[in-house]
Amino acid sequence: MSEKLALLHPEMVLFAATCVVMVLGLARSAVWRSACAWLTGGALAAAFVLALRSPVTDGLFPHFLAYTKAMIAGVALLILPVMSGTVDRWYERRVAKGAAFDALRVTRGEFYAFFLLSVTGVMLCATADDLIWLFLALELTSLPTYIMVAISTPRVRAQEAGVKYFFLGALAAATFLYGFAMLFGATGSTSLDAITIQFRGEGLSTIATLGLVMALVGVSFKIAAAPMHFYTADVYQGAASPVSAFLAFMPKAAGLIVLIQLLATVGWSWGEAGDALPDAIRVALWVIATLTMTIGNTLALLQSSAKRLLAYSSIAHSGYMLVGLIAGPGGTVARNGLAAAMFYLLCYGVMNLGAFAVLASLEVRGRDGEPAEADAIDDLRGLFRVRPGLAWAMTLCALSLLGLPPLLGFWGKLVLFTSAIGAGEIGLVVVMGLNSAVAAFYYLRLVRASMLDERDPDAERPIVTEALGRRLAAGLSAAGVVGVVVFASTLQSASHAAATPNPRYDEFLKVEAPARQSPPAATPTARHN
Amino acid sequence: MTALLAQASAFGSVTLYHYLFVSAALFALGVIGFLSRRNLIIMFLCTELMFQGAGLALIAFGRHWMNPTGQVFVIFVLTIAAAEAALALGLVVYLYRRKSTLDAQAWAELAG
Repeated sequence: MSEKLALLHPEMVLFAATCVVMVLGLARSAVWRSACAWLTGGALAAAFVLALRSPVTDGLFPHFLAYTKAMIAGVALLILPVMSGTVDRWYERRVAKGAAFDALRVTRGEFYAFFLLSVTGVMLCATADDLIWLFLALELTSLPTYIMVAISTPRVRAQEAGVKYFFLGALAAATFLYGFAMLFGATGSTSLDAITIQFRGEGLSTIATLGLVMALVGVSFKIAAAPMHFYTADVYQGAASPVSAFLAFMPKAAGLIVLIQLLATVGWSWGEAGDALPDAIRVALWVIATLTMTIGNTLALLQSSAKRLLAYSSIAHSGYMLVGLIAGPGGTVARNGLAAAMFYLLCYGVMNLGAFAVLASLEVRGRDGEPAEADAIDDLRGLFRVRPGLAWAMTLCALSLLGLPPLLGFWGKLVLFTSAIGAGEIGLVVVMGLNSAVAAFYYLRLVRASMLDERDPDAERPIVTEALGRRLAAGLSAAGVVGVVVFASTLQSASHAAATPNPRYDEFLKVEAPARQSPPAATPTARHN
Repeated sequence: MTALLAQASAFGSVTLYHYLFVSAALFALGVIGFLSRRNLIIMFLCTELMFQGAGLALIAFGRHWMNPTGQVFVIFVLTIAAAEAALALGLVVYLYRRKSTLDAQAWAELAG
């Protein structure tokens, strides 16, 4: 029992901090309220350390937890300073001047609490070994994000985005729940290990294939992949930039982890060479990946809003990661597609956050003179004259998203390419290469606007916000894009270790997993009583 | 699959197949309603319909395998559905105060 609990130590810390932050955010004193951010940061740092010390499991991927949870906590720590400005500053200033404190108007405490809850959900997805657990973890990841989107700014647009995100999220949740129900029906168990035994022994039945495909389609909402991608641009644009940055990583990490868990039950031991997914699943994923990359990159070309552009670029990046899932685990770092996807997720988290953080640290004056969020690509024009540091951060992150060597994004994409080539998926490699070339066009627009274009003489832009944390996050991400390259091979081998199947998993299945149940022959009908 | 079909041929009694048919019908009605209706409350009810369709399938499969896990799963699903209902109504009321309409078509601010 205590061994099982040791797997959950990071989640426990985060959940305890969530409860404290939730209450602390309602404190009368502004000092206590501002402690929420520091407490959140401390909890995430503790979770990071505990995650690195995660015990080795007996499951299919024994070292999966350490890398995955440390990555989640690390990127969450990077997102936290961007969040620091997401407060009703006008209200806080009035309280500081002596206005009455109204607990109902505080948006700080619960905002951090929702942030922590969602991160806890993502980590639970990694720990899950059961369909019920997976379902609950996915919902824990997404339910707080709906509220975060809706309360992120007081504008109507954010609330509309929240409602839209919620409704499509509920549709997706129902879809993967139905898929899980079919998987349970096909195998008679909700334990992922028992499902693996069933699939290895008897192959995929029609119901199981149907269930898996429905689950894949439902979860593709979380990673913003093709059949469920259409909410992305609206929601990312409607939400405040810090929340968009959060949405672009956390639900995506949860979705990718769940996809790996689900696909691992089927295993990559089918096909002619015995190293591919079963045909039906492979074709479904192939179509999803190709469509996702192409739609994301094509629509990104047409955008004039930087946030919508980044939203479509995040769709395209999900497509790249799916390529790694199709390739599957292999013996070496260069061949291991799962490791490539997990490593790419980390790279993507750092560089995408940098781009969003630069956007979040800029504001423009609206028609009424009130500060509004920077959104259009034109809002970046002349940034180099005003804030060369931010312009460089945007340039580095955009070039890294594009995959330019020697930046971080290149190393991430390289392993994805080699793993797909190793798995013989030449078609996918060609599609991915073409898409990366198309993507250059719109990433370079971001670079040109921030570095080369002259500032618009009439417009008062760009103006830098007072929130220091956002610039800090932008700087840290840009430094990461350059600096993490030094540790790229270490991180790649860590992700390879995380996604290497346990050679003794078969023995574990024989000993540990419960004996397969068969439907009792005597009671084929359900009685009414 | 063949086992399911064999059971379906046992006319006169309610079989797993019947339950699955009802659950699939509930789910499909939910999807159709979600895509065709404009009112936010009705759209939310449609997603609930889809959840209950999945729940019914879980119970039926649980009975088929004589495995109570399916029913346990449904209890969790009901909890989540309740949480989602609270969240949905909160968000809808929040939006209604600003826009005075529940028509999903009235969202002019976010194009596409």
